[in-house]
Amino acid sequence: MDADSDVALDILITNVVCVFRTRCHLNLRKIALEGANVIYKRDVGKVLMKLRKPRITATIWSSGKVICTGATSEEEAKFGARRLARSLQKLGFQVIFTDFKVVNVLAVCNMPFEIRLPEFTKNNRPHASYEPELHPAVCYRIKTLRATLQIFSTGSITVTDHVRQLSDASARENNHLLDSRFCPKTGPNVKAVASAVEQIYPFVFESRK
Amino acid sequence: MASTSRLDVLPRVTCPNHPDSILVEDYRAGDMICSECGLVVGDRVIDVGSEWRTFSNDKATKDPSRVGDTQNPLLSDGDLSTMIGKGTGAASFDEFGNSKYQNRRTMSSSDRAMMNAFKEITNMADRINLPRNIVDRTNNLFKQVYEQKSLKGRSNDAIASACLYIACRQEGVPRTFKEICAVSRISKKEIGRCFKLILKALETSVDLITTGDFMSRFCSNLGLPKQVQMAATHIARKAVELDLVPGRSPISVAAAAIYMASQASAEKRTQKEIGDIAGVADVTIRQSYRLIYPRAPDLFPADFKFDTPVDKLPQL
Repeated sequence: MDADSDVALDILITNVVCVFRTRCHLNLRKIALEGANVIYKRDVGKVLMKLRKPRITATIWSSGKVICTGATSEEEAKFGARRLARSLQKLGFQVIFTDFKVVNVLAVCNMPFEIRLPEFTKNNRPHASYEPELHPAVCYRIKTLRATLQIFSTGSITVTDHVRQLSDASARENNHLLDSRFCPKTGPNVKAVASAVEQIYPFVFESRK
Repeated sequence: MASTSRLDVLPRVTCPNHPDSILVEDYRAGDMICSECGLVVGDRVIDVGSEWRTFSNDKATKDPSRVGDTQNPLLSDGDLSTMIGKGTGAASFDEFGNSKYQNRRTMSSSDRAMMNAFKEITNMADRINLPRNIVDRTNNLFKQVYEQKSLKGRSNDAIASACLYIACRQEGVPRTFKEICAVSRISKKEIGRCFKLILKALETSVDLITTGDFMSRFCSNLGLPKQVQMAATHIARKAVELDLVPGRSPISVAAAAIYMASQASAEKRTQKEIGDIAGVADVTIRQSYRLIYPRAPDLFPADFKFDTPVDKLPQL
């Protein structure tokens, strides 16, 4: 059943989305005027700040809520969020870095075989939904892990995992299914992604070409 | 309720001589008659005869023996409501000539939105000539969704369009999203979203669409003869079996198959025409056609009469 017994599957984490709060009201106009690398979207009421070092785009609301996207690992997400909070602090706001949560993890995986989608949908009726008119991929939802997998006929699989858990600082066992962007502290989300792929592998294997 | 059914256990009256016998109801006279001995047991129970006499005449536009609108018991909460009608005599008009009691009070206000939606559904179905059974199924689905209230925030028209789509699918005659879009004011995206939400809310699933479902409609809209239609169906089915077109929507595959079949016969159609009917872009037809072109000789049915031979088929 294990994917890695015969072939090692690379699971690339392409995006980690996190949120944190600054516990103070932010003056968006001031950020827009004085901050570096910002885009002010006045009609919606948010500021986008793009960081270069960990490549992160942050959406900042005036209430103090910040959403960070674009990080490639949980660690990076935390670094980026902290860096962002620091730059807001330099602009003069009394920033307190609280409520850091990883909200969503997006990973991409490639199966070495192509997949027959209609057959796959028939075998996995309640979990899989396929609407070729709307989207070329099968959407497979795993309720226990709260993960959504999009399975394409070429064999690539996109996993989004939105387990809301606080990132745990305790060390976890390294999962060797993870790819080269190695992080020493793999959070629960990332592990859930790996287990989601493991779960779906046998089903997908049945409907391969 | 209890008195009208013969098969019920009758709590009230039984024949004194034959307590077990079934009482036959003579509805004209309102009697309950024992079937064994003919004794009239209940008298003047209910008279369901007509209130007044009716004569058949030419201007029988309304049937006088019926009062009220046709009941829709499954759908609305029964139509037992009263409206204030327009006044007839002189007394119903006040000083300025306006009628007193102008408000025809709204009936069944709790279901007004639902009745509006039913009207909209009937309109949409009319535009694409859908039969009554699909409309009924759509109404049922809408009622279920409406009662559940899980999609309450969504526009009723969007839910109605999505219900129509699901009903067509469930009846085995699916319509493409684009076809439903054409008769509705809602965007395809929104209909798609509502469709997924409804499936989740009602915990149902629908069968996958196949290429054959659309063949007869598209071909007759293009005016293609039966031979070409059968050939196109065969081509599409074979193409899917041989998996020449992975990941392509069945509509695109069907359109490409129709193109190939029509080009091989006397009735040729351009990609643009087929794209118009099927709601597929002509570049999409071109792409799918390129995928099935190499195996063209295998895809045609064995008894097909070629007007243009297989090697002369256009190559795009």
